[in-house]
Amino acid sequence: MSKPGVPHVSAGFPPLERMEISQIPRSRPGHWTVLVCALVVLLVIGAEALRWGRTAHSAHAAVPSIGSVIAAKKASLNAAAAAPAGATLTELSHTHIPAPHGMPSAHASALAPLAGDAMLAFWWAGSRESGPDVKVFASRWRNGAWSAPWEVASRDSLGKALGFGVRRIGNPVAWTDRAGKVHLYVVATGLGGWAAARIAHIVSSDGGASFEVKRVLPTSPLFNTSALVRTSPVALSDGGWWLPVYFEIGNKYPMLMAFDADGNPTSLARIGHSTSTLQPAIVPFSNHEVRALMRDDSDQERVQHASSRDGGANWEDLPALDLPNKSTSVAAIRLANGQFLMLHNHIAAGGSDRNLLRLSISSDLRSWSTVADIAKGPAGDEFSYPTMQQVGDELHITYTWQRQAIAHHRYKIALGAPGETT
Amino acid sequence: MTLPDLALQIVYARVGWALVFATLLLALWRGPVNLTRPALVALLAVMLVLMALPGELSPAYWLGLAFQYPSGLLVGCCALRLVERWHGIRRSRAMPHTLAGVLVVCGALLYLDTFGLLARGFYYAGFWPVLTPIMATLGALACALAIVRGEARSPAAAMLGAIALFSLLRLPTGNLWDAMLDPLLCGWAVVTLLASVLRKSGRRASDHASDRILNAPESQAVSLTPGLQPAPIEQFSSVKE
Repeated sequence: MSKPGVPHVSAGFPPLERMEISQIPRSRPGHWTVLVCALVVLLVIGAEALRWGRTAHSAHAAVPSIGSVIAAKKASLNAAAAAPAGATLTELSHTHIPAPHGMPSAHASALAPLAGDAMLAFWWAGSRESGPDVKVFASRWRNGAWSAPWEVASRDSLGKALGFGVRRIGNPVAWTDRAGKVHLYVVATGLGGWAAARIAHIVSSDGGASFEVKRVLPTSPLFNTSALVRTSPVALSDGGWWLPVYFEIGNKYPMLMAFDADGNPTSLARIGHSTSTLQPAIVPFSNHEVRALMRDDSDQERVQHASSRDGGANWEDLPALDLPNKSTSVAAIRLANGQFLMLHNHIAAGGSDRNLLRLSISSDLRSWSTVADIAKGPAGDEFSYPTMQQVGDELHITYTWQRQAIAHHRYKIALGAPGETT
Repeated sequence: MTLPDLALQIVYARVGWALVFATLLLALWRGPVNLTRPALVALLAVMLVLMALPGELSPAYWLGLAFQYPSGLLVGCCALRLVERWHGIRRSRAMPHTLAGVLVVCGALLYLDTFGLLARGFYYAGFWPVLTPIMATLGALACALAIVRGEARSPAAAMLGAIALFSLLRLPTGNLWDAMLDPLLCGWAVVTLLASVLRKSGRRASDHASDRILNAPESQAVSLTPGLQPAPIEQFSSVKE
């Protein structure tokens, strides 16, 4: 590199740096420049101070904790908690949620309770997975029956609202906030496969009849791609909730996005250090600890497990559970008596990855016993992507049935002391 | 975590992509003459109109499909490049080597972390309610100081613009990283550094070649024709250019 003032001999390259400088003469900044700079800096400081003040005030008003997570869960399980001793499941009904006409493929259901004993189910349906005609549909559970499905989101409707294209639609995840608004998180990909996925946040103020697009959640610096949702959110005592998220370009790892009571994101954190786990199902474990049970994409083929003792900010990987998992999604909830229910695909002798959907119960998240096999078929059948929702003293389970429909099972649940499983 | 309103993001995306696209077209322009100012205005106007078209007619719709939003700094650097072209400056100072180096290092750390290889949560820090305002404020002060002192004024102005956009409106996504860096900007920085390295190595090679010619004993003995003789040193001095 040539130095200023030093003559430089070059056969083909003139000293570029000096050419650049000679083209733009350095000038002393004028008063206007100083004034504009000062004004911009003052605006930046003012805006940040104002925002910081508001954030600090609201954070001071209510800091959700793990203990309060459990409290919120207990509140929603009051009816069940009053049941006599024994954890008993009695099947009340099982059916398929009505499918939209001409949509032979269905997958990835989610549930959201409404006021009373009503409930909404969401899933995607279309000609095939990733097809351009795939849309998210909803159906309402009321008075013991499902309504006809209606369309909630498509790539056209999302693209129109967002101002940019959506290539394909994927998993929906639903949450009902304290005000009764239904928040739906929908996987909507950019240019590419599922690795190019983004998460669209859409909200309904009329019980799911219509939805308004709020935004795409910011989750990654890579053109905001490769973030997906699958498992159910978890309640916080301040009215907020945690949304489990996961990343998948090459490596796969789970994340957690926290929301306040108004549905605005408040933080984002990675769950553990693993690069082969995804779709975390989060349950409060104690007053000071929360656990995540996760789908395994490694050769270990076991349900993966992580723990956080600081309100979900930092996570530690725990040894995998002694339950098989060949990269299939799980669902888990904590019951009012302190026990945990998990829906997972068990691998029986001669079976395949997803032909047996099992409900298991545990008191410590380590030792599990079978409650019931919810769905079972010959090798190659698929009963997958389960979701659980407790509404009063009923346990609702939905799952993908043969990739053709969404099955719904309804159980009466009676809880007692741990160890009294029936 | 404060996120921008979707309507603001849509407007930002259209204006931002118009500036980026206009800059890209100008960079690819290999015409015999410099673009005139009216032509520059026309190009920018066409880009803005195109981006403002509804739905799939707008290139912003497709750019957003792939890239979502350009970072504030990318838009700032592109705006700066357009201003340079307005003033007839062909060789840009929008991406100096120092800035390119910082962007490449930050990008490498951020993207390694995002791919799960570091697990440090760098991206999440861009949402932190205390760290983010402090970083934005310090960044704005540093940029303003650099502009006032006349040091690296162009990139400092682009950065100040990106920080102001972030602090006032939280554009483009609400994350400070997304205001200052995106893979396209990182790619620009990598290309800048690579081009610089190639230029230097090419210059070094040509210096060696000319040194060899000048110092070779044969060259003293052989009488070169006037056209092959090394040019006088003064002819290469940039001071005269």
